[in-house]
Amino acid sequence: MKTKILLVLLAAGALWSVRPAQAHHAFAAEYDEKKPVTLTGIVTKVQWVNPHGWIYMDVKQPDGKVKHWTIETAGPSQLSRHGLKKADFTDGMSAVVKAYQGLKDPALANGRTLVLADGRSFYVGSVGGPNDGADR
Amino acid sequence: MPSIVPALEWLEGLAWTTAIRESVWGYPMIETAHVASIVAFAGLVIMMDLRLVGLAFTHAPLAQIQRRLFPWQIAGLVPSTATGLLLCCIDPMRYYGNVFFRVKLVLLALAGLNALAFHLKTYRRAERWDEDPQATATARLAGAVSLLLWSATIVSGRLIAYNWFK
Repeated sequence: MKTKILLVLLAAGALWSVRPAQAHHAFAAEYDEKKPVTLTGIVTKVQWVNPHGWIYMDVKQPDGKVKHWTIETAGPSQLSRHGLKKADFTDGMSAVVKAYQGLKDPALANGRTLVLADGRSFYVGSVGGPNDGADR
Repeated sequence: MPSIVPALEWLEGLAWTTAIRESVWGYPMIETAHVASIVAFAGLVIMMDLRLVGLAFTHAPLAQIQRRLFPWQIAGLVPSTATGLLLCCIDPMRYYGNVFFRVKLVLLALAGLNALAFHLKTYRRAERWDEDPQATATARLAGAVSLLLWSATIVSGRLIAYNWFK
């Protein structure tokens, strides 16, 4: 009897654990894969930190106003693996970031591809984003 | 009351905390050690709790289970606490503003108090029912509360990564 109870508990736990795996690191919870954006602007600050990095960018909008974007990136290990270095960033440099806009916060985005002023391009996304080919 | 924020900002600005926060290998290794030692600790605590609530090992004397598990529970507790404190030092302002982190601290305190009360009071009087498959009501309650609180602590710890209430 007790063994049966334990088996039921174990099975329930196994089924439950499948759920978070599908939405790894909450891309779907925070970002909208139907809202891709290409941001061209000035990098005001970069946080090269674990577990996820952040790029802060000022982007001039069509109406002339400057919008302050906060872009989430992968952490230092993943960024390094894709060839990017902390020294590649200087505050005030221009850059282009392809990203997906936040669901709730319109000034938040999940970065996918970073193109530096010298033309070099890097994948900066974290695991679990849309299958858009940015990581290839 | 003076705010603790300046102290946390000072901690965050130190060279060694910044170095680990920005590290390629350091942070993932500390985080992995934190999770691995929690698995060891919680797994062994759950074994004891299952004996207390009467779901497993009921034919083994309680004292024997306690004697065998306790040193290994501590062997999991020490590194998980040490790595946890280290993670707090590395990024204090991130955790300070995180709801799930605050919930986890409260749950940790409650789980610790429950464990202390059990070991200092209930277990002291356990000789009388040592070989009884059914623990006393107080001990069963301690086991159930322990299962609940440690599970909730782990869940809230995992949720720190998802800061839904900024």
